[in-house]
Amino acid sequence: MNPLSPDSPYPLSSAAAPSPRGDADRAPDDASLLRMMALGDEQAMGALYDRWHSLVHAIVLRMIRQRDAVEDVVEETFWQAWRQAGRYETARGSVQTWLLTMARSRALDRMRAMKRLREEPIEGEQGEVVVQQVADGDPGMDAEAAERRTFVLAALAELPEEQRAALELGYFGGLSQSEIAERTGLPLGTIKTRMRLAMQKLRGRLQVLREEVQ
Amino acid sequence: MMHGLAHDEARDALGALALDALDASERAAVLAHVADCGSCRDELSALRETAAKLTYVVEPVPMPDDQRDRVRARLLARAASEPKPKPIPAAPAQAHAPQLRILEPSHVPLNATPRDTPVPPPVVLRPTVVPLNAALVAAQRMEARARWMAAAAIVVAVGSVWALINTREERDEMRVQLQVASVEGRADGRVLDSLRAGITARERFIANLTGPQVAVVTLASGTPRAASARMFWDQSVNAWTFVAHNLPQPRNGRAYQLWLVTASTKISAGTFTPDGAGDAVVRANYALPKGDLAAVAVTDEPARGSPQPTTVPVLVGSTKGR
Repeated sequence: MNPLSPDSPYPLSSAAAPSPRGDADRAPDDASLLRMMALGDEQAMGALYDRWHSLVHAIVLRMIRQRDAVEDVVEETFWQAWRQAGRYETARGSVQTWLLTMARSRALDRMRAMKRLREEPIEGEQGEVVVQQVADGDPGMDAEAAERRTFVLAALAELPEEQRAALELGYFGGLSQSEIAERTGLPLGTIKTRMRLAMQKLRGRLQVLREEVQ
Repeated sequence: MMHGLAHDEARDALGALALDALDASERAAVLAHVADCGSCRDELSALRETAAKLTYVVEPVPMPDDQRDRVRARLLARAASEPKPKPIPAAPAQAHAPQLRILEPSHVPLNATPRDTPVPPPVVLRPTVVPLNAALVAAQRMEARARWMAAAAIVVAVGSVWALINTREERDEMRVQLQVASVEGRADGRVLDSLRAGITARERFIANLTGPQVAVVTLASGTPRAASARMFWDQSVNAWTFVAHNLPQPRNGRAYQLWLVTASTKISAGTFTPDGAGDAVVRANYALPKGDLAAVAVTDEPARGSPQPTTVPVLVGSTKGR
C-alpha cells in the first residue's frame, strides 16, 4: 500500500494505546477494560468485576471453603487485576485465563497461610474429585466457554484415575507433591510420575484447544 | 536446599512446577535450571499454558448478592481513594507493539540499520529551543523543497511523566518483588515472568533516556500554558522517546502527531493524546542517520494521523543552532 494514498493507515495509533473513550455503542471487551483500568478508570474495574466475579468466585470457592476467606480472595484478585492491568499482554492468553490464574494464585497463598496458621487443616478436602458433569444449558456460560469447559473435562476424563487425582490435588487442592504423597500414603516418586504423565497427556490433548475453540 | 539438578531431573519436574506443586526447595532448584536452559524454558511455558487451561473447567458460581455488592463497593472505593495505578511507560515496547515498518517502497523495518548506511561517528545534537516563528519559517522552507517520505511509526505507550521519572524506582521495586517471590515460591510463573519482563522493559526504557549515545531535543511552544517536551534519541538502538508536559487535550476526533523533520522529509512518528494532566510519553523505533535530524515537531491532526502536517506546530524543537 502506498502510504501517501488517501486510505493509507497513517499512523498509527496503536491498539496498545487506544482512546479510553472507546466505542460508545459497544461494551468494551476485556482487554479494553484492562487498558482503561490501567489509566485509572475504576468504573472499568466495576465492569470487569460484573463480568467475571462468578467465575473468580467459583475457582476460589473450589479451593477455599471459608466464606470470609473466599470473599477476601475474590477482592484481592480483582485488586491485583487493577494494580497490574497495565501488564496484561493479549498475546499471552485471554483475560479470563489471566484473571483465573491470578485468582488461583491468591487462593493458593491464602490456603498456605491458613495451613501455617492451622486455621483450616488441609485434610478437610481429602479425596475430592474435581471432574464434574457438565451443566446443561448453564446460562452463566456462553457457548464458547461451555465448549472449552467440555473439552478440558473430556481431556481430564481420559486420564487414568490415579493421574487425574494427583493432578487435581495439586492444581485445585493446592498441595505439593510431597503433601500429596503424605496424604495418600504413596511413595513420592509415584506421585511425581503420575503428575508428570498427566501433564504430558494434557499438554498434547489441550494443545488444539486454542486452534479449535478460541 | 537442592542444587544443580540434572537436565532430565529438572525436565521431569516441569509439569509439577507449572501446577505450583513443588516444594519450595525443589522449586528453586528447578527454576535455577530453567534460567539457564532454553528448552526447559520453552517446555515450562507450554506446560503453564496447559495448566492455565485447567481453569476452563470451572463453572460460574454467583456470589450471594450481599457479598457480591460488598466486594464490588470495596473495590471501587479502594480504586477511587488510592493513587491511580502507575502506567507502565516502557513495558509495552516489545509486548504491545509491532515493529515499525516502512510501508512503501522498501518494506525494510525502520528499526533496522540500512545495509548501505555506513555507521557515522557519534553526533551530539545541541539541544536548542527555537522560537516558534523561526521554526515555522524553517519548516515552511523545508516543506517547499521536500517531498514527504512516508513512514509509519507506532505509539507504544502514553503515560504520565510522573511514571517516567519513577521508572528506575519501579524497576528496583520489581527486582525486590521478583527476588522475594522466587525465594518464597509465592507467585505463579506468569507473575514471575511478568516481573522479569517489567524489569527488562524498564531497563531498556532507562537506557533509552540515559545511554551514552542519547541525544536530547527540547521542544517548546508559545502557548500560554507553556506546553513543552523533550525527545530522547538513543542512537545506539534507534529508539525515540518523546515526553511532553502541559499539552491541552485535542478536540474530538483530533490527536497530536509527532514528526521527525529532516532537510528533505517529515517522518511521522505516530499520533497520541495526552493524559488528563497533559502529559504524554511516545516511543518509537526508527533508524535515522545521525546527522539528518533537523527538528522535532508536534502538530494537531485528525485522529488517524495525516500524511503530512496540516496545521501549525504546537511544539517544535530544532537540533541545530542558528
